Amino acid sequence: MENEFTARYIELGANAEIFRYEDCIRVNPLKITAEALIERLKKKGFQLEKVKFLENGYFVRKARHSISALPEYLHGYFYIQEAASQLPAQVLNPSNEDIVLDACAAPGGKTTQLAVKAKAVIAVESQHNRMPALVNNIERMGMKNIICCNTDARTFEPEIKFNKILVDAPCSGNYISDNKWFGKQKITNFTERAEIQKEILSNVANFLEDNGELVYSTCSLEPEEDEMVVDWAIKELGMKVLDIDCIGDKGISNPFGKELDKQVEKCRRLWPYKTRTQGFFIAKLGLK
Amino acid sequence: MNFETFISKFAGIAIEYTKINNKYFLAEASLVELSKKLNCKIEAIGLFLGEEKEDKFMPSPALLEILAKVSDEKVFVNYIGEIDFLYGRDLKKRHITSFTGGSKEGFFKLIQNEHDENIGYGKISKPLDSETGEIANMLDKGDYIRREKPVQHS
Repeated sequence: MENEFTARYIELGANAEIFRYEDCIRVNPLKITAEALIERLKKKGFQLEKVKFLENGYFVRKARHSISALPEYLHGYFYIQEAASQLPAQVLNPSNEDIVLDACAAPGGKTTQLAVKAKAVIAVESQHNRMPALVNNIERMGMKNIICCNTDARTFEPEIKFNKILVDAPCSGNYISDNKWFGKQKITNFTERAEIQKEILSNVANFLEDNGELVYSTCSLEPEEDEMVVDWAIKELGMKVLDIDCIGDKGISNPFGKELDKQVEKCRRLWPYKTRTQGFFIAKLGLK
Repeated sequence: MNFETFISKFAGIAIEYTKINNKYFLAEASLVELSKKLNCKIEAIGLFLGEEKEDKFMPSPALLEILAKVSDEKVFVNYIGEIDFLYGRDLKKRHITSFTGGSKEGFFKLIQNEHDENIGYGKISKPLDSETGEIANMLDKGDYIRREKPVQHS
């Protein structure tokens, strides 16, 4: 069924096939090996299959009941995290010497993913009602190297700089992860969201080390929240787009007839009908 | 019962902690130093160990996991017992496969599953060496789900 949104996707050279994406988990290597978890869950009627493009991601191919009802979930052996949403932290790829800023942290999937590798993670979340989920997930996953800050990434002013920053920005979402999405959205929402996304980027870029890397991601497929924000960051914040090794199509440099900086083609856009994941957009940025 | 007294019920160890308001955390000194440079409201740092509510210390499942590595005050349960306990129910004799440490009424015990993984703690309500041994559920890991209002995973 075509609507004003799907017509936009067609104009961008894509389609809006709707399907139910596969349940996916991320194994927590701090608590268990993937092999041991696969074996334990197999005995309980669950079958896991490695996601080829993820380090610790596994599709749940067979499930006797909800995987969140398993004791192994409560032990923090895995995090239920959709496949595409595991990519931003993987692309940022911190080392054990990095102190990482996670600028929009709750409910903590990407935060706990980053904390597996990083020296420390500063998890910033502006909404107080989302803090319990963040703190619970950190505790459940057994992470000891995270500081949770209830503050707005748009006004956060630390005394330090970071060489790795993740901005998984609040966005309009997509029609795959929310089956009522088409009924909820207006095209004007996208530009309003984009303003918030730019404000976040604008502030946290001040705290990026000269040779640091910032991953900007959304689960939106709308160019206003994706390539056009990156184009703005290139022009207004003096940033550059870095190459990334990640699945997905290249970014769109001419959405709806607007000519953007060609660098946005280095971004990755995950069209659900191609990747069989939810919609996603990922860019790695650095300072010029 | 305060933090130190609670720990002493299970093991003769000291755990250094950082406190934020009424909450206890396990955090390395470098993490605490880092937190001072953030100029914002810190909600949590490192691993949450528990909190004081009305002058009573309420442990976190993470603290129980730490204690289970060094304590002898353990009760081991079968799979049915594990599931029942994780749903907040008390343990009956039929759930218990073995125990170490004290068996008298009033003792606190760490509850371990078949893999010797901690699933919570309880208080002996009927002596474990009797035919009707029972343990009252004080805290179980199902609390992770119960204490949180649903937030959509991204």
